[in-house]
Formats: sequence, structure tokens, C-alpha cells
Amino acid sequence: MTAEEVSNDGQNIPVEGEDITPKKDGGVLKVVKKEGTGTELPMTGDKVFVHYVGTLLDGTQFDSSRDRGEKFSFEIGKGQVIKAWDIGVATMRIGEICQLFCKPEYAYGSAGSPPKIPPNSTLVFQVELFDFHGEDITEDEDGGIIRRIITKGEGYSKPNEGSSVEVHLEGTHEGRVFDDRDLKFEVGDAESFDLPLGVEKALQAMEQGELSLFTIKPKYGFGNAGKPKFNIPPGATLQYKITLTKFEKAKESWEMNSSEKLEQSAIVKEKGTQYFKVGKYKQAVVQYKRIVSWLEHEASLEGEDEEKAKALRLAAHLNLAMCYLKLQEPSSALENCDKALELDANNEKALFRRGEALFVMKEFDQARGDFQRVIQLYPTNKAAKSQVLQCQKHLKEQHEKDKRLYANMFQKFAERDAKKEAEQTKKGSESAMEIEENGAPEQTAA
Amino acid sequence: MCKPEKKTETQKHCRLTRRCEHVQEENFSPDDFDLFRTAGMSCIQQGHSAHVLSVVIDERNKSIVHCMGWNLLGPLVKVLLKKEEKNFHHCHAIFCHLLEVCSPKELLVGLLEQVEEADPDAVAETITLLLTPLQTVLLRLGKRKSSTLGMALSTVLNQVSKLPVPQSREQEEDDVFGLCRCCTALSHFIRPFVEEIKENIQERRFSRDDELRVEIMKFCMRSLSEPLLDVQLKDPDTLETSPLRDFATDILVTLCSIGESLLDLLSHNLMRKRDIPGFLEEEVRYPKESLASLAHLLFVHHIAMDMFPSVLSPVFVLQCNMDYVDLLLSRTEESRLQKGLELYEKTLVRVEDCSLPCDLLDLKAFLNVPQNMVKVMTLCPVQSVRTKGLSVFQLSIDKFNTEAKYKFFRCMLKTSEHAGVEGFIIKNIKNQIDLALKPGHENDWFLGKHLLPLLRQVLSLPQGAETDLLHNLDRIMESLNLLRYLLIRDKERHNETGIWSELCTVEENFLKPLRTGLNMSRAHYEAELKSTKEKKRKNSAAESKVPTCTVTVGNDTLPNMTPEMQLQVLQSALYMFDLMESVLARIEEIAEAKGET
Repeated sequence: MTAEEVSNDGQNIPVEGEDITPKKDGGVLKVVKKEGTGTELPMTGDKVFVHYVGTLLDGTQFDSSRDRGEKFSFEIGKGQVIKAWDIGVATMRIGEICQLFCKPEYAYGSAGSPPKIPPNSTLVFQVELFDFHGEDITEDEDGGIIRRIITKGEGYSKPNEGSSVEVHLEGTHEGRVFDDRDLKFEVGDAESFDLPLGVEKALQAMEQGELSLFTIKPKYGFGNAGKPKFNIPPGATLQYKITLTKFEKAKESWEMNSSEKLEQSAIVKEKGTQYFKVGKYKQAVVQYKRIVSWLEHEASLEGEDEEKAKALRLAAHLNLAMCYLKLQEPSSALENCDKALELDANNEKALFRRGEALFVMKEFDQARGDFQRVIQLYPTNKAAKSQVLQCQKHLKEQHEKDKRLYANMFQKFAERDAKKEAEQTKKGSESAMEIEENGAPEQTAA
Repeated sequence: MCKPEKKTETQKHCRLTRRCEHVQEENFSPDDFDLFRTAGMSCIQQGHSAHVLSVVIDERNKSIVHCMGWNLLGPLVKVLLKKEEKNFHHCHAIFCHLLEVCSPKELLVGLLEQVEEADPDAVAETITLLLTPLQTVLLRLGKRKSSTLGMALSTVLNQVSKLPVPQSREQEEDDVFGLCRCCTALSHFIRPFVEEIKENIQERRFSRDDELRVEIMKFCMRSLSEPLLDVQLKDPDTLETSPLRDFATDILVTLCSIGESLLDLLSHNLMRKRDIPGFLEEEVRYPKESLASLAHLLFVHHIAMDMFPSVLSPVFVLQCNMDYVDLLLSRTEESRLQKGLELYEKTLVRVEDCSLPCDLLDLKAFLNVPQNMVKVMTLCPVQSVRTKGLSVFQLSIDKFNTEAKYKFFRCMLKTSEHAGVEGFIIKNIKNQIDLALKPGHENDWFLGKHLLPLLRQVLSLPQGAETDLLHNLDRIMESLNLLRYLLIRDKERHNETGIWSELCTVEENFLKPLRTGLNMSRAHYEAELKSTKEKKRKNSAAESKVPTCTVTVGNDTLPNMTPEMQLQVLQSALYMFDLMESVLARIEEIAEAKGET
């Protein structure tokens, strides 16, 4: 049943209210039905919680959060809802109930919203604002970094690790400004500029041109150590007012043709190596990963260029493996070695690094295999020889341990069996059941 | 399983009865269990179920039946599946009795074993037969049922996923393989558990990690991808009562009932603060395929739209769906591509023409989707999908604002690497310039200084004079058309597009190499034509239809070309060169007359 077919009960809603559009074109009219109690208005980006009932001009109800029994929440001012709502709800106080009268240009326009809202519909909403709060931008949503947007930025893209950013920032602690600087740096490198982790996280949530106030808990601030340089005591909650003036957007894969990708990859590889040399492995990873993303699915290369791309990819995977080993992330290192070996099955470094990764993962048997393969292919590799010895040592230890463990186990089994026999077989079926049950979740995990 | 016994049936019955009746539980020996099982099984298999029934319901055998009865499920289910058997009623009675008295844990294992080992030809029958008993037994488990319920649902779904999916309306009505019946049965099966979760939510005895809720959630998510993503739902106009549509509706309603908001699910990937690749819980709870299926059900079939808020901006919905469109279009199966195109189309239709901002093109999904679209339009073997792809591609272009169109065209010219797609983009550029030249539509992007770099990209030959003209035919013809249009429409004294100041560059980068290329290609093809003709003349006396050249496309060898066909191909190539040359000549003429012809 479409909205048009619903017969209305003849109750037409009068057009009335204050024009709240910035353009004053009468597109959104507001009538306050019940005054709110709060003093503050929601700011851009705040998460707001409302109940609403939406009707067409002829009185047909097309949507109601009250009927669904769940408050509707959204981040205001970010274009998540129809224009009339971003404008209208921003004028509300907590506890307020109002009616918003929305012209199609501020709602669903000539397209309508099938199946319920026909084209060119004027919509009427009864909205009640329950609550709003600043946006929590932490990954765990632990309230550690709260943002209030003062001026919204532009665009949809945000800096990520490795992006170079230009910012103005002002740090305050208990009303005292302790830091006020214009800075240019790469995300991931904030520490060298005496900036806490929270600022780095904050930047990655910002759009170009945005001005926001961030409240940063000690966990994301200077923690329990404080920051003597700025006279910040341990466990301090900080406020940073940050303007993201500019950031360099990495060129996306599809904006480049094959030769540009090759060119950029070579540049980025150099950049990664610079980072690697000074021990900034995370930043190096970001750079090397870009090479992989650009060239991995590039099928249009031929001849010399294809070789070049292959060499760059191989180098990227080998270097990534090295970085991950340094970062103590052996499984990522392993993955990259595998990728490198796909490109060059007998690559010395790839085999050696995979051995190292497996060693860290305590897969000594497989690790030994890789090192032995290195020796077989490259007899001069002394490091591999000593690694094989290390593996053998660990294998022996592990073997001893297993022996002890299993010896105990068999003893235990024997005891249990004896007990069981005495107890009759009845319990047998139940223990089988336990194994089934314990087995099931593991299956999903595999 | 059962050992061949030489004793007579009666003897066996007697032994079974005797042992059961006279032995107390504590005194059962393993032999008793073996005997109970083998004797019971062979009795049922050989049609003496009335006797087994009498033993099983005998109060004195309660304890042995309690712990051993589940072993009889296998043979019982076999009988129950063959409905016409004369023993059906007795077996049914035994079955019902066992469900009441046996230990629920063992019954579950037994029942699931039956589901798992179902005869491939009787999967649907087995599932529809066993789901109600499974439900009864699970409910007997009380509070401890969650993980077992999960196991049961996943076992059943594993089997359901083996059933062929009905394609046509008739197939869904006939339901030969029983997928529809299974889906309906599953809807009934989960109902009491969903009710329990709803009560818990109402009484606020509930957490998001409540085990029962998580299991039902997993079931719903899995059903969305299997079978629902494979199903092509029929509209109510085509098929009034559709069990599959009902199932889809039921799954979405269930998700809402257990406290999952459809909007949160849909925007899950967009709103998620962190990207956790390989994080298991995330993939199990929110598999992207399932969410894509959800988006398709909501926006293409409008299923459960009542549960979905009608205040969202179309651009936000597009952003949410773009990830799913990307996922679906990155596949090769026709059904996935079809769904991807439908979802993209329905999502785009909600957006006003010329409204999508350029910044959207910074988002990854907005980069991937056009690339996947190119693949669909150029590589998909199904004609209807390619055609639909092209129309949706055009729709997506129409929705971008002027600046975004400009950027989009530049990117596509750079990356599509397909002359047909490039030709299509160039045609679009021509339309945009035509619009910009109309009073009231002037803009910065398709006139003057921004237009020039775009024109330079268009009015050039990728590999200069060596460009393969036939391979690039679509692109070159559209470029020539555009140039001719510009010179006629925009007089030199106005020069709004800037083409007149650009003519020297165009001559150098495009027209001159094109002329050279044309001369070379023409000479080559004419020589080829001549030699083929001669060859043909020489061979005609002997064997005229001998194939002389093989063409392969992909891995398929096309039928061999006969000399006649070769001649045709060569001739039509020469016609193409004629065509190019005539447009080229016309362009030179207009350029000379400074557009005043």
C-alpha cells in the first residue's frame, strides 16, 4: 500500500510557524509545542536522541519512532538526515517538543522516498528532543575523546596515518593555555612534537577546515606521567581546540594510470625506507602498504613495466615483513612473506623472514623448514645456520615438555577409565556430550 | 550396524523385554545397552514397532529408555520419512514418547545427527520433520539451551544451503526441492526463542551479549546471505503469497524484535569507528554479505520498510549502500551482479539529479564501484546485465553535480582502459558542454579554463599515429564527433569553450597523428585485402572453404574464419576508415571556415 492510497481522515495540518531556514525561504517552519528545559543547543556533530512522528499534509502518518518503541539517534549537522531535520533539531533544547513543517526541497524533493513518501511531499514532524552529547571518537567508545564541532569542515575524507597535516592547536588544562602552535607534521609522528595520542586520534576524525574542541581524558592525554615541559600534572584531563587547516590527501589508486602508479610507488618506497632507518616502523608500514594497494591488482602492465611493478611489490612485501617483525606482529609478517614468495618462490629474504616470524610464533618445526631451505639455496647464509640450531634447541625443549605433559595425561586417562569402569558406563554418553559442546564454538572460530 | 543374529524374532523380543524388565538401572551392564540398541533397532527395521512401543512405554523400563532411547531415533526417522509405512503410527508414538522421556541433551545430539546425515534426496523432508521435535527438546533444556540452539540452527542451515534455490515463480510455487517449506519451518522454529528474548528485553533482563540473542542474531545474519542472497524475490504482483518473501520479512522483523535496529545494521560499516580486519566476532555478527542482502531487501523490495526510519537523507543512504553495491558488483555470479545493480539503481533514484558533491569521490567505495561497473559493462557474459549496467552507470553520472561530473569524467578517461567506455564518457562530456552553452546553465567546469585539460585528454590519440584505430574506434569516433560539434556550435568569435585557441594543439596531438595513422592502416588493410583476394583466387579451384585463420576469445576457439569472412572483415575495416576520414574532412572544412559555414 502506498501512502497515496491511504484515505485520510480529513484532518489537514495548518501551515504555520517561524521560518528557521538560513535562506528565509519558508522551507522549514517551526512551532514550539512545549518549551524545553535545557539551556544549551546541540552543536554540529553531536549525537542527538529524539522521538518523532511524521505525517503527510493530509494527515497520513508515514513514520513514527514511538511506534517502533525506540528513540531515534543521529549525528546532527552531518547530512545524515533530511535538511529540515539538521536545521530544525539544531534549534531545540532538551525536553522541547516542536512541530517542523518541511517543504519538499528540505525533505525528499521530487524523488520522494519510496514506498511511503510520494514525490514533492511536504512533511510534518512532531519532534521531542531527549538528550544530546558530544561525539565520542574513540574506537572503544570509552568516552576518552569527546568532540564538539565549532565549525564544520568540508568533504568526506579525513587524514589517516601517514597523511601530512597542517594544524593550529591550542591546549588548555583547567583554564590555563599550555600549548598554542601552528604545526605541520605527519599523522603518526605527533609524539616528536610533544602532542598526546588523543590529538592524533582527533585529527583522524577531522575534515579539512574543521574547528573543533576536544576533551581528552588522561588515557589519551599525558597519562600518569604528566608532561613537565607544559607543567601538566599526572592524570590531567586536557582540552584541545584544533583547526585542521590543510592535509595532503593521498592520491587514490584509480586517479592514477599505470605509469603514475609506478612513479609514485618508487617515491613512496623511498619515504618508507627513510622512516624505517630512523626506527619509525609504523609510519614505514603505511608507506609500503600504499605500494601494495596501488600495484597489487594492476594487470595492464607489460614487459619492462611489469617487471618494475613486480620488483616494487616484492620489495614492499619484504620490507613490510621486516617492519612487522620489528613491531612484534609476526602473523602480519608471515602474511607478507607468503605474498613475497608468491612473487619469487626462492627469495632468500622472504624465506628467512618467514622463518623468523614462525620462530616468534613458536612454530619451530616450520621455522626450521624455512631456514633449512635458505641454507639449501644459499649455502653461504650463516645466520640461517644458527637459526636452525636455535629451532632445534627449542624443538627439543618442546618435545620434552610434551612428553611430560602427555605422560601425565595418559596417567590421568588411565585413572579416569578405571574409575569409570567402576561407576558403570552410564556416564559415558554424557562425557561424549561435553566434548561435542566444547567442540562447537571452536569450530566457528576456525 | 546391527549384528546378524541367527535367533528368531520372537526370541529377540523376549530377550529385549526380559532384560529391560528385570534389570535395575544401577545394574545395567554394557551388554544390556548393546542389546537394547541392536534389538530395538532391528525390531523397528523389521517392522515390529508395536512390540517396541509396548516395551518403551512400560513404566518399568523408564530408566533404560531414559538413557538409551535416543539410539532408536535413526531407524524411527527412516520409518517416519516413508509416510505410507504400515508401522508409521507405532513409530510416531514411540518417537513422541522418546521426546518426552529421554534426556534432552542426548536427544538433541541424536536429532542433529539425523539432520546431518539426511539422505541428500530427503533433506527438506528430514528438516521439516525434525524441526518441531528439535524445538520441543530445546525448550525442555530451559536456560541452558543457547549454545545448543546455535548448534542446531547452524546444522540445519548447513543442510538448507544445499537445496537448490527456486528461480521462477512456478518453481517457487511447486517447491520441488523444499527450500520454501524449510524456510517456513525455520520461521516457526525460532518463534518461541524470539518471544523469550522479547520478554527479556521488556523486563530489562537483557544484555546485548545475551547468548540466546546472539544465537538468533547469527541465525538471522546467516539466513540473509544463505539462502536469501541467492533468492530472486518476486513482487507481490507476480506472486501473491511467497514463502520466501515471508521468510525474508520474518528475518528482518526478528532482527528488530531482538533489539537490532535495521538502521544501525545498515550503517554499521559506515559508522564503525575502527576497522578490525580479521576480527572474528565482527565477521560472525555482521558479515558484509548479509548486510548487503539486508540493504537489497529494504531498498529494492521494500521489505520491513515500516521498521526503517523515514528521515534519513538520500545521500546518507547512498553512502551506506555504496559499500554493499561495491561488494555485490565485485563478484562474478550473475545473481550478485543483478542485485548489485538493482540496489545501486534504487538507491540512486532517491537522490536528486545533479546533487551529489565532488567530495564523495574521495570515498573508497565511490572509487571502486565505477571500476566494478566498467567490468560489468564490458566483461559480463550476460547481455541483459551489461545493458542494465550501462543504464545504471548513466544514472549515476546524472546524479553527480557539475564539478563531480567533471572529476568523474577525468578519472574514467584515465583509468577505464576500454575504448567503449571512453567513447561513452566522451559522449557525456559532449552533452555537458551542450548544456553549459545554453543560457542559464553556464558553469565553470564545462566551459573555458577547466574544460581545456579535459578536452586535451579527449582530443588525443593514446599511442599517437601507432594507435590501433579499429580497437579504439568507439573512442576516436566520439572524439571526432565532439570536435565537430564544438566547431559548429561555438563560433570563433565567441570561443566560449576555448576550442578555437586550442586548435593548434588539437591538430598536433590528434588530427595529424590520426591522418598518418589512417594512411598507414588503410595501406595495410588494402594490401591485406589484395593478398587475401589473390589467395582466394588461387585456392578457389582446389578448396575454397579451407579455414585459414583461427580466432580465440577467452579460452573458446571461435569457428574458423573462411576466406570470405576474412574479406568481409577487411572490407568493413576499410569502411570504418572511410567514415573517420569523412568526419575528419568535415572538421577541416569547418575549421577553415572558422565555424561560419
